[in-house]
Amino acid sequence: MRILRTALFMIVAAATSLATAESTTDASDIVRRANLAYYYAGADGRAEARMKIVDAQGRTQLRQFTMLRRDQSQGGNQDMLVFFSRPSDVRGTVFRVVRQPGNEDDRWLYLPGLDLVKRISAGDKRTSFVGSDFFYEDVSGRDPNADRHTLLETTDKFYVLTSIPKDSESVEFASYQSWINRETLLPEKVEFTNSKGQLYRQMEVLKTDSIQGYPVVLQAKISNLARGTSTLMQMRGIRFDLGLPEGIFSERSLRTPPTQWLRKK
Amino acid sequence: MNFLKPALLVTLASISFATVANDDWSDENWGEETSSPWQWNGFIETSYGRRLQNDPAINQDKTLSEIRGRVELEYQAESWRIDLKADGIYDDLLHRSDVQTRAANITFSPLDTLDIKAGRQVLTWGTGDYLFLNDLFPKDWQSFFSGRDDEYLKASSDSVKASWFADSFSVDLVWTPRFTPDHTLNGDRFSYFSPTAGKNSAKHLNPDESAGSSWSGRLSTSHNSIEYALYGYLGHWTTPVGINNKGRMTYPELNVWGASVRMPVGQGLFNSEVAWYGSREDTDGSNPKIANSQIRWLAGYEQEIGTNLTAAVQYYLEWTQDYDRLKSNTFFSEYEQDEYRQLLTLRLTKLTHQQKLTWSLFSFWSWTDKDAYLKPSISWRINDQWTVSTGANLFYGENRYSFFGQHKNNTNTWLRVRWNY
Repeated sequence: MRILRTALFMIVAAATSLATAESTTDASDIVRRANLAYYYAGADGRAEARMKIVDAQGRTQLRQFTMLRRDQSQGGNQDMLVFFSRPSDVRGTVFRVVRQPGNEDDRWLYLPGLDLVKRISAGDKRTSFVGSDFFYEDVSGRDPNADRHTLLETTDKFYVLTSIPKDSESVEFASYQSWINRETLLPEKVEFTNSKGQLYRQMEVLKTDSIQGYPVVLQAKISNLARGTSTLMQMRGIRFDLGLPEGIFSERSLRTPPTQWLRKK
Repeated sequence: MNFLKPALLVTLASISFATVANDDWSDENWGEETSSPWQWNGFIETSYGRRLQNDPAINQDKTLSEIRGRVELEYQAESWRIDLKADGIYDDLLHRSDVQTRAANITFSPLDTLDIKAGRQVLTWGTGDYLFLNDLFPKDWQSFFSGRDDEYLKASSDSVKASWFADSFSVDLVWTPRFTPDHTLNGDRFSYFSPTAGKNSAKHLNPDESAGSSWSGRLSTSHNSIEYALYGYLGHWTTPVGINNKGRMTYPELNVWGASVRMPVGQGLFNSEVAWYGSREDTDGSNPKIANSQIRWLAGYEQEIGTNLTAAVQYYLEWTQDYDRLKSNTFFSEYEQDEYRQLLTLRLTKLTHQQKLTWSLFSFWSWTDKDAYLKPSISWRINDQWTVSTGANLFYGENRYSFFGQHKNNTNTWLRVRWNY
């Protein structure tokens, strides 16, 4: 009887927590869970990515790289490695980050021509990632606690939120509005407004999929409407829970990339 | 060898056109390369540089005039890798063609915790920016002073590097069977101060190369975002700071022991490095033909001070040991550097236009030598294929013999155009 009662209790508890998840209206909680869905799927992951960077005159550039990620804790610190393969002048360049939400990240850049491991000082996370319209923060994730979030409305498909930075000096936007898919918790559109109230930057998700049960973004585009530039990012070869060893997230991998984990399985 | 120039160009150009990326942005077409173990790419570059003034010591306005084709080939197997990098060069200044192998090495891991890289390779460690204390691997100062790409500041050596990775630290050991010195200024492109002549000379220098091997080691670890390292070196001075029994310039024996630390401080990065240069053939500093021992110390700080704008400063000290003995024995007392040679460097880097334009200024300033060296440059990455860069190497000095001051008449400006394939 005792076992039965425990089992029953667990079922009820599970059902209750599910119900809360379904009907959550706490904006910060939605953002927290969206952050986990977008940046913390699985305990680790690998993905190939490429970016098409289009300038205001329509001229394009390409960046292609493979990313490895390992979470030290869900929603907490993360180790990341970004291995560039194209174009040829950045081939072999590796970017290493220890992401520390709420703190400055540790960052290194390996330049193969000089065999140089250059440590990079903590920088503005809202500057371009490798010349694209993606900011560092768009690639690695923005600390959910950096902004105050308000739920504007809940549509059939989306939670619509508006977010205002706690420290407006540190960012270029005054606010942003995001459309977070209620089912997958992936943000599918984000619109940034400047202090003049103008919409000047937007992120749109163009394609999603489910991989190993995790909803993932396969294509996203960030447009800088003020400058007329845009960057399309496409992902492929995504795998989660590979069991990436902690040891590969070190200086060793900059000089000797861990081929075993970079290759598509 | 002159036939090489057109042949190389035509070959490279024709190959390159075939490999211009087929950028169909449909889901399937990601380009070829990720599945093949072979990778290859490279560039073609033309460079031109000239003096901004006359140099009476050298009958040559040009400081750089060359066309260079680079081929890089990589073969990546499951557990080992081969890297080949070679430059075909036509040098219009020295009127010669040449093929220079920059890298030809194999990397493999005989143990889970051990990486070996053997063959010709470029090696770098230490924390300085354009200042090298514990990094005794060969440098190419001719490239640095003439405006070639930064990559060429580091010359390659034929070495074996073993890296062992324990849980909390790592050990690197490099053995270079044949000592490889720096490519120092030898009069071909740039004049240098000759103490015997008492003025600048462009006579071709050809120091005697010491036989024997060199060993470099590093023990490194990090804790709470702070990186620590210990270094050791057994070999020779990498510049010709000695005169041998035959009266020729040479590279005396040298041991170096040092340490470094690098860590975030405030919004930026702090680094410090120290090195003891033990001049083995002149341990008491009394031999005027061999450089004295030195203690070298560096402290630096880097911070982003604006959007896409980074500033970095370094303080550097070269403390010559047994200075009194040096002064009383030297042949050229008036030309000796200060007991405490000190300098400051400043680097400013600004990126604009979607990071396509890089504005850079690096400067050395020494108040003990009363000289300075400025390296301004602008690099425009037009697209993924083309990059155009221009800059200058500007030397100032009160004295004609000081480290940078002797190069006043080598002050030059340069332009490079590179096409990547």
